[in-house]
Amino acid sequence: MAKQPARILVTGAAGQIGYALVPMIARGIMLGADQPVILHLLDIPPAAEALNGVKMELVDAAFPLLKGVVATTDVVEACTGVNIAVMVGGFPRKEGMERKDVMTKNVSIYRSQASALEKHAAPNCKVLVVANPANTNALILKEFAPSIPEKNITCLTRLDHNRALGQVSERLNVQVSDVKNVIIWGNHSSSQYPDVNHATVKTPSGEKGVRELVADDAWLNGEFISTVQQRGAAIIKARKLSSALSAASSACDHIRDWVLGTPEGTWVSMGVYSDGSYDVPPGLIFSFPVTCQHGEWKIVQGLSIDEFSRKKLNATAEELGEEKALAYSCLS
Amino acid sequence: MAKNPVRVLVTGAAGQIGYAIVPMIARGVMLGPDQPVILHMLDIEPAAEALNGVKMELMDAAFPLLKGVVATTDAQEACKDVNIAVMVGGFPRKEGMERKDVMSKNVSIYKAQASALEKHAASDVKVLVVANPANTNALILKEYAPKIPEKNITCLTRLDHNRALGQISEKLNVHVGDVKNVIIWGNHSSTQYPDVNHATVTTSSGEKPVRELVANDQWLNTEFITTVQQRGAAIIKARKLSSALSAASSACDHIRDWVLGTPKGTWVSMGVYSDGSYGIQQGLIYSFPVTCDKGQWSIVQGLKIDDFSRGKLDATAKELIEEKTLAYSCLN
Repeated sequence: MAKQPARILVTGAAGQIGYALVPMIARGIMLGADQPVILHLLDIPPAAEALNGVKMELVDAAFPLLKGVVATTDVVEACTGVNIAVMVGGFPRKEGMERKDVMTKNVSIYRSQASALEKHAAPNCKVLVVANPANTNALILKEFAPSIPEKNITCLTRLDHNRALGQVSERLNVQVSDVKNVIIWGNHSSSQYPDVNHATVKTPSGEKGVRELVADDAWLNGEFISTVQQRGAAIIKARKLSSALSAASSACDHIRDWVLGTPEGTWVSMGVYSDGSYDVPPGLIFSFPVTCQHGEWKIVQGLSIDEFSRKKLNATAEELGEEKALAYSCLS
Repeated sequence: MAKNPVRVLVTGAAGQIGYAIVPMIARGVMLGPDQPVILHMLDIEPAAEALNGVKMELMDAAFPLLKGVVATTDAQEACKDVNIAVMVGGFPRKEGMERKDVMSKNVSIYKAQASALEKHAASDVKVLVVANPANTNALILKEYAPKIPEKNITCLTRLDHNRALGQISEKLNVHVGDVKNVIIWGNHSSTQYPDVNHATVTTSSGEKPVRELVANDQWLNTEFITTVQQRGAAIIKARKLSSALSAASSACDHIRDWVLGTPKGTWVSMGVYSDGSYGIQQGLIYSFPVTCDKGQWSIVQGLKIDDFSRGKLDATAKELIEEKTLAYSCLN
């Protein structure tokens, strides 16, 4: 007997990430090939006609798993009954804008969307914030949706995690699917810390440490880190547009592993509400290594953190503390 | 034991349809979730940096099924050993261009690419032409790649087929997965004939004919037809960009059903080399109803064609003959 459809909200759905993401969701990439879905697409009134164009294309593609499309500029209608919310919509930084200006605009957006989600989404709605500043937008959303369990509010660092896997696989000339257990710590920004100290590669003679196989600490502690941190800018330079394809794909991975569980022996990176693990200040949305089971994530505990890593973790936590303070100052 | 990777070429890969289709291919939408793939992406020199950006994003997405990416502006390297070729690249019609100008440019492109494919692709390469004028580009490709079996050269009308299914599902308020066996006859242009005379809907009391359930011949013979014929323009009007998402998805459907077979009792529409079936002149690439089995398509025979339909089938054939003549005149 076919499963009941899951309702999935995508905000900013008329934009580039939305356009890449919705066919992935409609094909079962996010929740599995046997899970029917109903898409809720939200965008702002200036994008209403483009949004309707996306809805038309979803009809035109005749997706067997797609059981309905709600395309709207009304946030209440968009949020009603949704089981999963992917928040792609936000105010992009424009030339000449100060950080505070971007923060102010996004804080307002996430405050009002928090309210709508809290009132109208299905209980136990899982939220993934993609729009930047992702961690702080997620934190604002959490603060203004107190009846959504804090463990249900996350932000996307899976893109950085996948980018790190890709860099290691290229360096070692192995398949990316044979690399696992990198970690992205902290903020989805240039202060993120891509950590390979516990990452492994599957080889014919078993799993080997990435650090051992790469045998180039200078690269792993230097260029590798900055390449992953700045990859977004590199994509923009090449494409003249930002990384919609890989962001959309990674958003699907984030939700899929959260809902369906991580494979045995494998963890992933998610921006989650910190509980003090690894001496990260509680009350931030901070990216940690997590495993997922039965629809819940859990921080991987007990990983050794060397001095180099400790400094990096602290630096990105500090930046998040500053962003939190800035965000709150915008609300006053 | 894992299957050997299949090499899939996408031309025009730095463009919008390319950007939509490559993550679909990399996720197994085209050939199934257990079929590893190697993507070959071709575009022209001015798009080289953007193309490299797409390659970077494919790496960043850490797709388990994607076993390699060849991104190049060299047609020979692009075509080497490919098993499937999706020809999205072509010269778009610009404002002020005459039909003959568009035809002339595309005929040169498809002549050159035919040659490269014939020399370097796998001998049983399956070809899907998407770029417009799709049918005539495919015909030119066939003429200049005589070693490629003519049955291996097709053009995309699955998008129109899926659009027709979508329109019926909306009219009847049923799920698109319950509608089947529409037919798109002829040219992927505004002379195409979307035919529901043999289409059915799965209902709780069995399969019922669309014409009977819609009970509105006037609509089926006029507005329905023009809506499907002109849907591309409607999408451009809404989005200010053409229908990349649905074109990419339908291209995956076309290849998947061709390679893996159509479900029992279901046919699809493909632009294929005409053999005289249904009184259509031989030697055109014309969209017919087909079933697929063991990697081969065969035209569904014996369907009744009423007078109204006969007129439509002949009109679109006439246009294709005119295009063929125009194309050949461009070659001299």
